[in-house]
Amino acid sequence: METGILELYVLGDITPQEKLQVEEMAAKHPLIKAELEEIELSMELYAQENAIEPAEALRNRVLGSILTNFGDDSTFTTTASEEKNNVITLPAAKPNSFYKYAFAACLALLIASGIAIMGLYNKLQDSYSQIATLQNNNQHFANQVNFKEGELEVLRDSSFKFLKLQGTQHSPTSGLTLAWSPAKKKVWIDLRSLKMPLNDKGHQYQLWALVGGKPVDLGVFDKDQDSTDMKEMKSIASADAFAVTLEPRGGSASPTMDQMVVIGKF
Amino acid sequence: MSRKRKISLSEDELVLALRNHEKIAIEALYDMYSSSLFGVISRIVIDTATAEDVLQETFVKIWHSFSSYSTEKGRLFTWMVNIARNLAIDKIRSKDFKNQNKNQELENNVTSIDEQINTIYKPELLGIKDLVQTLKPEQKSILDLVYFKGYTHVEAAEELGIPLGTIKTRLRMAIQELRKHFN
Repeated sequence: METGILELYVLGDITPQEKLQVEEMAAKHPLIKAELEEIELSMELYAQENAIEPAEALRNRVLGSILTNFGDDSTFTTTASEEKNNVITLPAAKPNSFYKYAFAACLALLIASGIAIMGLYNKLQDSYSQIATLQNNNQHFANQVNFKEGELEVLRDSSFKFLKLQGTQHSPTSGLTLAWSPAKKKVWIDLRSLKMPLNDKGHQYQLWALVGGKPVDLGVFDKDQDSTDMKEMKSIASADAFAVTLEPRGGSASPTMDQMVVIGKF
Repeated sequence: MSRKRKISLSEDELVLALRNHEKIAIEALYDMYSSSLFGVISRIVIDTATAEDVLQETFVKIWHSFSSYSTEKGRLFTWMVNIARNLAIDKIRSKDFKNQNKNQELENNVTSIDEQINTIYKPELLGIKDLVQTLKPEQKSILDLVYFKGYTHVEAAEELGIPLGTIKTRLRMAIQELRKHFN
């Protein structure tokens, strides 16, 4: 008490620690509390002695600023401690982390979409190639059907005559079936029933028609493993006989008689 | 003087009413304490308009943070005068206020300098006269520095060039003189 700490306490010139000490002491010892109150009262009266009356208009201004929002709950409930709490509990980092996560999620989604699109693109390419294959097959079958139709026409058409060309002395085992329609000037040969030696790359078989003793070129063909269809040759309206010779690839202008493999007459 | 009637309550009634946020409480508080608080504020903040602003801020703060006051901690006025003194000191130390002072015009300076050296006639200060005689000048200067100007006793010791122990003793003596005077 003699140190003057109670006076400093009342004057507000004291550290928070000392302040707590004085308050504890005052709570324990009624004498100290009484002393404190004496000092406080003296200072209060001293302030009254030194009072300065503020301007009259200030009263309404001050009370007005406090009572303007009298019906507003926030006017009453706000306290210093609450305000402090509000400041402390504001998490500044929250929006930051939200955008971070959102950005990461977007990136992950983008990558996942990219992978999915790549997968779909590959499947699409597969489908395209499958469609192309199917279209090829389809075309192939359509062609074959058309061709078979043509072959059937030959068999059904009564204007076609069939002739079996027999092997010559040069090649006695050879044989060729030939269909000819003088009315339609069409000549077909059946490569499936063709019996001839395989020709090499330098040579081809050539079909001839004999018209009034003169040979007329009707086109060339090959004897190989793939020769399984009927083949339409050059057209001719009239013929006495047909013959096949082995000629250099591309055919010759006139037949090489000693290379004749088959011949047949109507 | 032209005011009709000042509201006055006992300190206990006032504290209870303030705690309940009754309208009459803040009116009574203003009528009972505004002049004492304004006396303190005016000695720290010289400019009258600024001092009035601080007084307003003081009452607003008292009203809003009243829940942090408890009667066990001491008298209501002690708590309020600390708020007023701190707000006033904050004001004169704030950047705005310093800039404002720099930009004051010449004619304003005449009156503010007058105020600063206390040559203005203030009838409301007349009552202090007999009190001045009860306090020795060296006691009064220290008490006023700490109580009215918001100096800490350490700052007052530096300002007056007096040892810290002497400052404390004189403060204590001054207050004891006051107690005698008021009793």
